[in-house]
Amino acid sequence: MAILCDKNSKVMVQGITGGAGKFHTERMIGYGTNIVGGVTPGKGGQVVCERPVFDTVAECVKATSADVSVIFLPAQFVKEAAIEAIRSGIKFVVVIPEHIPIHDMLYVREEAIKHGTTVIGGNTAGLITPGEANLGIMPDIAFQPGKVGTVSRSASITYYVADTLTRTGYGETSCIGLGGDPVLGSTFAEILLKFEEDEKTKAVVMCGEIGGVYEELAAEVIPSMKTPVLAMIGGVHAPMGKRMGHAGAIVEGKMGTALDKLNMLDKAGAHPCKTFLDIPDTLKKLGI
Amino acid sequence: MRLYEFEGKQLFKKFKIPVMESRLASNPDDVYNAFSEFNIPVVLKSQVLTGGRGKAGGIQFAEGANEARTKATELFKLTIKDFPVEKVLIEPKIEIKQEYYIGITIDRAKYKLVVIASGEGGVDIEETAEKSPDKIVKFPISINEDLYTFDALLIAKKIGIPQELIKQGASIIQNLLKMFKAYDAKLAEINPLVLTSDGKLIAADARVSLDDDATFRHKDLAELNVEHRHEEGEMTEREKQATEWGIPYLDLDGNIGMFPGGAGFGIMGNDFIHHFGGKPANFMDSGGGPSPERIANMLVLLEENPNVKVICGARFGGISRCDDFAKGVLMFLNNHGLTKPMVFRMTGNMWQEGVRLFEEAKAADPDMFKQIEFHGIETPIEEITKRAVEIAQEVGT
Ligand SMILES: CC(C)(COP(=O)(O)OP(=O)(O)OC[C@H]1O[C@@H](n2cnc3c(N)ncnc32)[C@H](O)[C@@H]1OP(=O)(O)O)[C@@H](O)C(=O)NCCC(=O)NCCS
Repeated sequence: MAILCDKNSKVMVQGITGGAGKFHTERMIGYGTNIVGGVTPGKGGQVVCERPVFDTVAECVKATSADVSVIFLPAQFVKEAAIEAIRSGIKFVVVIPEHIPIHDMLYVREEAIKHGTTVIGGNTAGLITPGEANLGIMPDIAFQPGKVGTVSRSASITYYVADTLTRTGYGETSCIGLGGDPVLGSTFAEILLKFEEDEKTKAVVMCGEIGGVYEELAAEVIPSMKTPVLAMIGGVHAPMGKRMGHAGAIVEGKMGTALDKLNMLDKAGAHPCKTFLDIPDTLKKLGI
Repeated sequence: MRLYEFEGKQLFKKFKIPVMESRLASNPDDVYNAFSEFNIPVVLKSQVLTGGRGKAGGIQFAEGANEARTKATELFKLTIKDFPVEKVLIEPKIEIKQEYYIGITIDRAKYKLVVIASGEGGVDIEETAEKSPDKIVKFPISINEDLYTFDALLIAKKIGIPQELIKQGASIIQNLLKMFKAYDAKLAEINPLVLTSDGKLIAADARVSLDDDATFRHKDLAELNVEHRHEEGEMTEREKQATEWGIPYLDLDGNIGMFPGGAGFGIMGNDFIHHFGGKPANFMDSGGGPSPERIANMLVLLEENPNVKVICGARFGGISRCDDFAKGVLMFLNNHGLTKPMVFRMTGNMWQEGVRLFEEAKAADPDMFKQIEFHGIETPIEEITKRAVEIAQEVGT
């Protein structure tokens, strides 16, 4: 089992004819991901990596029954592309590009909620369910099928955590990049609850970092979870970021420092880890 | 991108939010001349990208042209929280009867815009929010929706805008939201919105921050005299150089030069260095999919930083490929040369090709690699950071 995507998912690529789109489609197929087609407006009828290209997502879905989409487009096209995917019935959208305008992500999120679609990113490495599907840009070498789920804000941290779990024989069920942009398609809390429902996932490692609000939201759901959560937060020694005016302080309160986040997660029942090597140690202590 | 008050007020004007007529001055003589145009008591406001300028003496009043010039001379000598005063805004002084607060921001946890309003505006608004939250109105609104007039009227009423100005108050709130959406703002504040003693509503200050990732679609900002800026705050020479090269970079006070991949390990790696008893000299982030040139430039920043005693590198190829990483490192070694010890780990997408490039270069010129310890996936990243701390301690300061 896995969350959000497995070997049976039918995956399409938006921007399949682009530079990064083509390169990573080839890699994803090489990994065994069930890529069924792609979309680039104006290039319908072409074939890329032996997969059909369509002008619109609706046509691609009709012809291939795609239910997952990976977006490889420059940031300014993401709002349209994601909303197109959501309205065409795609249930899981992965937004790889970085620097997506914040307001655009708010529109995408409204649409996703309305249609019951899960969006991850922007600025995510994607998702990998080892041995089954690799969506995005994650390097295969770090991953191995196993029993721990991971979710993190940063791509490189996802790789290091998996690299550690793989080296110590735990392996992973699914690894999800939440994304590094300021407003994200999904929250830690939402992804944690999906792992909670996955029988194969024996523990979840969540890696957050200084700034933002998503780690704090996770603390609200962890107490209700049976699956243990291990937490790492980057930026304990980082210089404090800038404040966003009075309004930011009134709305987001004192959220944001790495230590505060870690303390909050600790109190909620998560197991804090300082380095990646603490992860296998903690799992062992938990009898996993 | 944070806007200066005078830039924010340009946007206000465009959206029919009432502001005083004003002049912008870059030296005391400008101020003198501007005063003559008004010829009534004025306020001189330092234009700096930070709060607390009032408390720092950055706001002065003048009743005559000479007084205005003398006071401006002092203002132009001021530095407020590292921001030197380079521009001063001159406006007729207003008689304040009441100060309101109107702000809009994004609640990232709820994915909504939030209109915030209070009948007790001014510099202590955050304290008010904390001590008497009942004095703050928060109205969440989804990005797809406009603020209806009836909602805006209710907000204006709740904060005590007088009956005869209630419609104007409501439209100020609605227009601020229109501006917020039209310009991809992250923050827009009118603090204070002043009720003058002769019964007018005036936006006495403007604090606006726009989303840097959306300025590409607001080309008209230049026509409104809003110049494009990168970040708020003062930068060191190295930080400026890095910004020019498109590299997020911060100078810190340690001696281990951090040469990470993405921002994630850029942040976490610095924690690891501390964890093992060392101190990083910088924070850096290569960004997604850096070109070999950018990789080389990252190393130039560290090589030329005299505080750096050892370079600690990490590349886990994802969107950034190991072959590009290797090309960048080799470009640096060939064109610039390395005088410092360097330890790094490289794995991930295209690692085989990366390793091949290094092996080939090393076979051709073993000397070039004398100072370099190179690891792959078999070595945990903790070992790399630990090793960097050890080398820094051996080399000493
Ligand atoms: C995503 C990213 C890699 C795309 O860059 P790219 O490959 O150079 O983009 P290209 O311009 O080559 O490709 C875009 C393609 O999409 C097409 N396109 C445009 N709008 C489209 C739409 N709505 N739907 C589908 N395709 C569309 C374009 O026509 C183009 O195809 P073409 O080259 O055949 O004409 C880049 O924008 C980016 O954000 N990079 C950083 C990502 C990152 O770091 N992520 C985090 C990792 S941890």
